[in-house]
Amino acid sequence: MSAVPPMRHYKLTEAVDFLIIGCGASGSVLARELSQNGFSVVVLEQGPWLSTEDFSHDEFRNWTQALLTNDYRKQPTTFRKTPQEKPVTQPALVYGRMVGGGPVHFTANFWRFHEIDFIEASKKGTIAGTGFADWPITYADLEPYYTKAEWELGVSGQQGASPFDPPRSKPYPLPPMPVKSSGVLFDRGARKLGYHPFPAPVAVISQSYQGRVPCQHCGFCMGFGCEMGAKSSPLPYIIPQAVKTGRCEIRPNSYVRKVELDQNGRAVGAIYFDKDRKENLQHARAVIVAANGSETPRLLLLSKSNRFPDGLANSSGLVGKYLMFNTDCEAMGKFEHPLNEYKSIEVTRVIHDFYEIDPKHGFYGGGGIDARFLFYPISFSMWGLPPNVPQWGSEYKKIVSQYFTRTMMCAGHTTSLPLENNSISLDDEVKDAWGLPAMRVTYKDHPDDLKTNKFLQDRGMEILEAAGAQDRWTTPVEESTYGFHLLGTCRMGKDAKSSVIDIDHRTHDVPNLFLCDGSSFVTSGRGQPTETIQALAFRAADRITALAKKNEI
Amino acid sequence: MDNHLSRRSFLAQAGATLGTLYLGALTPELLAQAHAHAKSMPPATAFNSSLRFFTPEQAADFDAFSAQIIPTDDTPGAREANVVHCVDYLLSSIGVDHQADMTKALAALQEAATKSVPGAKSFAGLTSEQQIAVMKAMEKSPAFGGLRSVTMVAFYDDPALGGNKNEVGWKLIDFDSKFLWQPPFGYYDAHATEEEKV
Repeated sequence: MSAVPPMRHYKLTEAVDFLIIGCGASGSVLARELSQNGFSVVVLEQGPWLSTEDFSHDEFRNWTQALLTNDYRKQPTTFRKTPQEKPVTQPALVYGRMVGGGPVHFTANFWRFHEIDFIEASKKGTIAGTGFADWPITYADLEPYYTKAEWELGVSGQQGASPFDPPRSKPYPLPPMPVKSSGVLFDRGARKLGYHPFPAPVAVISQSYQGRVPCQHCGFCMGFGCEMGAKSSPLPYIIPQAVKTGRCEIRPNSYVRKVELDQNGRAVGAIYFDKDRKENLQHARAVIVAANGSETPRLLLLSKSNRFPDGLANSSGLVGKYLMFNTDCEAMGKFEHPLNEYKSIEVTRVIHDFYEIDPKHGFYGGGGIDARFLFYPISFSMWGLPPNVPQWGSEYKKIVSQYFTRTMMCAGHTTSLPLENNSISLDDEVKDAWGLPAMRVTYKDHPDDLKTNKFLQDRGMEILEAAGAQDRWTTPVEESTYGFHLLGTCRMGKDAKSSVIDIDHRTHDVPNLFLCDGSSFVTSGRGQPTETIQALAFRAADRITALAKKNEI
Repeated sequence: MDNHLSRRSFLAQAGATLGTLYLGALTPELLAQAHAHAKSMPPATAFNSSLRFFTPEQAADFDAFSAQIIPTDDTPGAREANVVHCVDYLLSSIGVDHQADMTKALAALQEAATKSVPGAKSFAGLTSEQQIAVMKAMEKSPAFGGLRSVTMVAFYDDPALGGNKNEVGWKLIDFDSKFLWQPPFGYYDAHATEEEKV
């Protein structure tokens, strides 16, 4: 189960130009860009290096064994809703834990943020009790990097299909994926109601690209690695390109426990456990933490020193705070004829008509709604049927035999307001398998987030009705106890008192320490963060390269 | 069953319940063994020395329970899918952490049977009507949820694990295991107008 290719190796004592921690959505992009720009790079990744041969369609094995994600048995988490509550040990979040990171198993929805996402607080006003703020960069700053991400990774979509789309400098490199039955029904229902459905932009290649084979519509995107290499995670192209430079070494199974400083307060490298649990210190001239919105703040909090008793680069006290999950909601519908949603990618149609919900409804929020299925045979048997039908026995058999192929979902994806209490911190008692303090998650949705969620669920139900569903049902909108999108925990800003990193992703406190991943977010966007994480990484690579060339790191 | 659980919490629940059998290392070798084991098993009618984890009594009770969850009627059910042997093997090899949960759940089933029909020796020994009544009475319990879930896993998972024999589970729901498709995928995209396709 290892796909480590031949590549350049560096000695631990050899101070490389950049040590990158995390080889996921952002770390892999930074590794390729910086190594192509002539720098020596070592990437430490806590997960394994898997290849297409390691991926299967076995629902049970994939989901229950954490083959592609953090393993709760080795890395327990604790959860509480408020800082006053005693935390309970329970699974509280998931992230991609392997070379390639979250995009290996993600659903592949690939949305840009819109212009409003970066300037929403100044347009709409701040919200009392929240950290709602503008980004220090704008959509225009990031646009070239969204385009770069789409072309370097391989994204399918249709320029101009959504009237709400922000301006773009280049069309998508690939045409949209073929529409599924859920997409046709969603399109029909949404248009009847006056909305503007458009082909979903997805990080899956609809035609050959970069020497890669196009999607064969196997139907196992969400939660699975792509055996065809058609899903545009960093695995099929970005990572091989980084390795090919001869300047980049990626070390899998390397679990970092501390970023080390010298007496001048500059980062000199990081201490990590290798696969045999031996501790090593890799030296570097600069360190970039790209370990995701939960592990990045955790590593800073673990890297305490006399200079930084509250955690590295934490003079603001904001490391780990303002965690945002995005919420999502479901409206389910069953139709007369088979849709066979188990085939092909999850989502082929989306609406952004509610990207900004009219404030006259009395709450802040916005989001997108997409058409999807989201089940496989086992999960459908657990949670797929309407709650009011028999869940076992002969009658169950009759119903499930009708519903599995005829059911679809309208899924809403929403904003989450940044709240200081919502956070990643170190648990006082629970330890992981390496003896390090476990991650403690504190999270309680803002009431407006739940109202947004319910609002989109209601719109989803109306779309299903307009599309002619014979049966419709929902699961209740409830407070989050589990996170998939891990955002905002080391926010970007101009002021060192109210943010952790500057617009170059450099920490305000340590000149040669950079952070770049979901933790950099100031606001949550509308529920599909990966393209923005990767656009930020492409941009950060340019900014960091410029600083290095000017000798300013 | 708790239908209020978001389908996304399926990931969160993994490991927390018997139903998802949070396994250790299911290596390709173990998978091959599981498959070979399942193939060599006789149909789940007589439970004897072929069992690895269940006692014959437990196997009979779980067989009766799972056959009520997915009965054999005009289409195959849990028995034809080899559910008991699949679960027996999983619990004896790679799901040993869940043996205690399973034992507890089966004890609860036995207890419910005795409570419902005084003097009953086992759940399997009840009539079908009695079994259904016992199950309905305990439908909200964790024991029922766990036993139902593990039945579903063995009925619907990849046949390589030893259950879903001859893909009877997938056939029931019209899940076609080609894993390779071209459009049209379903009725509505096959019958869409050109406008709706773009």
